Amino acid sequence: MTAETVARPKPPPKWPYTLAGLTLIGIVLIAGWSLDDAKWERLPLFPGEILQYAGQMLDGVLTWPGAHPEGQADPELTYGDWWLQSLKLMGESVALAWIGTCVGALFSFPLAFLAASNTAPLVLRVPVRLFFNAIRAVPEILLAVIVMLPLFGLNPMAGAMAIGVHSIGSLGKLTLENIEAVDPRPVEAVAAAGASWWQRVRTAVIPQMLPETVAFWLYRFEVNIRASAILGVVSAGGIGALLNRVLRGREWEWGGIMLAVIIIVTILVDQLSAALRHRILHGAEATVVAV
Amino acid sequence: MTQATLERPSGQPRPVRPQQPPPSPLLVGGVLGAVAVTVVAGWAIDFSLAPVIEQWPKLAMILEEVVRPEWKEITDPSSRLWTALMETAAIAVIATFVGSLIALGVALLGSKVSAPPAVYRVTKSVMSVIRSLPDMAYALVFVAVVTGPLPGILALTIFNIGIVAKLTAESIDAVDPGPLEALDAAGATRWQRARAAIVPQILPNYASYVLYVFELNIRASVVLGAVGAGGVGQLIMLYFNRADYARLAAVVIVIFVVVIAIDLLSQLLRRRLV
Repeated sequence: MTAETVARPKPPPKWPYTLAGLTLIGIVLIAGWSLDDAKWERLPLFPGEILQYAGQMLDGVLTWPGAHPEGQADPELTYGDWWLQSLKLMGESVALAWIGTCVGALFSFPLAFLAASNTAPLVLRVPVRLFFNAIRAVPEILLAVIVMLPLFGLNPMAGAMAIGVHSIGSLGKLTLENIEAVDPRPVEAVAAAGASWWQRVRTAVIPQMLPETVAFWLYRFEVNIRASAILGVVSAGGIGALLNRVLRGREWEWGGIMLAVIIIVTILVDQLSAALRHRILHGAEATVVAV
Repeated sequence: MTQATLERPSGQPRPVRPQQPPPSPLLVGGVLGAVAVTVVAGWAIDFSLAPVIEQWPKLAMILEEVVRPEWKEITDPSSRLWTALMETAAIAVIATFVGSLIALGVALLGSKVSAPPAVYRVTKSVMSVIRSLPDMAYALVFVAVVTGPLPGILALTIFNIGIVAKLTAESIDAVDPGPLEALDAAGATRWQRARAAIVPQILPNYASYVLYVFELNIRASVVLGAVGAGGVGQLIMLYFNRADYARLAAVVIVIFVVVIAIDLLSQLLRRRLV
């Protein structure tokens, strides 16, 4: 009746979205076409092959650890040895991620105070921020290859220091954001009482930003565990080196065990760290809810 | 002058300043635990800074070459560097596009707002397993199947699905329930709800996550090359193994500039989006 006379509002035009979508698809197609050795024709075979290998990996994981794998040079070798070796190397990965995070936290914490607008003058802020950004832009693997491997040789210290230096950049940025986000009122109160710069920072800024910053350290530790697997490939310590060798040798059962160890340890550390972070940020009362 | 108002009536004892509460046992335990973990970890990796001094000359020698990069590698557009860089860009673009598209679907399955409880639980736990493997592990498995850029694209795609799906699912959890209730009242199907009420609300956030993973992909594809999955990383390993530090330095400079440029660009776009 009257409803028909009232004009429905016109929907907004669709063509800008269509155009944006088509442009995107165009870019993707050009990108795909430019990769001339991409072997796209292999793509349909991929799922089958991956499933087959995944099945072999699962066999490795599910075999009784006391059994002896076939085709190995050492007849005494058992699946249990593979588990133990993977665990040991994964432990090394976790350890180097932890040390790296410690190095990052140790250096980024004081530096961040020189980069935050409420604790440092502009002359200091600009170079320190530039330093953070520059460090973040260099991937860990480059740091490891160019600086740390020549210094420390092919061992976990190189990986730890690469992760550590890289973490200074990202932790520094996050820490300085935390410092800038503090409530200015306590800072003003302390300043009004005649506090020096150090007293202001010590009594008004640090207590406010410390919990969040520590939570970020823990989060960064989780990220660094994943990064440490990569560093192993350039022999900078951890489980990556062996994983690289085993998967390249197509020893799927062994590789499956290694991947299982990585998944289990990563998830365990993530859970533990998430619970700790929750406890740090929300206090004891909320902990029960988190678990 | 305020002294007078603050003066206490004589005879009353001076109040004692309240004592500082002792540090909580949890805090003490936490700090001690962190120290213990650090000591064990340091021992496990043979922590030592001595090599910094001992090996300094070796590093200085490398750095001396690094500060004199092979500029020809950068200025010559037909050099290996530019070919590899184009490959890296193409890998990142394809992986971001495909990964993000799939991730949108996965995110809809992984939020309790848009999916039935059983589906949502299964999706969430599968995603957390997928995310717990580093992108490198996928690349290593895929490289064993085929070589070239394809394994890199696939590894990054999986990696992108993990990140974008998680972030988008969290955005979906937080959508305004008003439009959803309106659609429910009008008898909409799940697909109609997603299409008309959820996707329009999360689109800006989703777009910003896509840009964010694109940024990550450029960095990650540098890494992927190191296992033979194509791109700039392969070039890095090649020059490193040949100890051709002048060319390596040229590659590093270009990566540095590209990463910073893409960071700035995507920050700019993301700020406009959200």
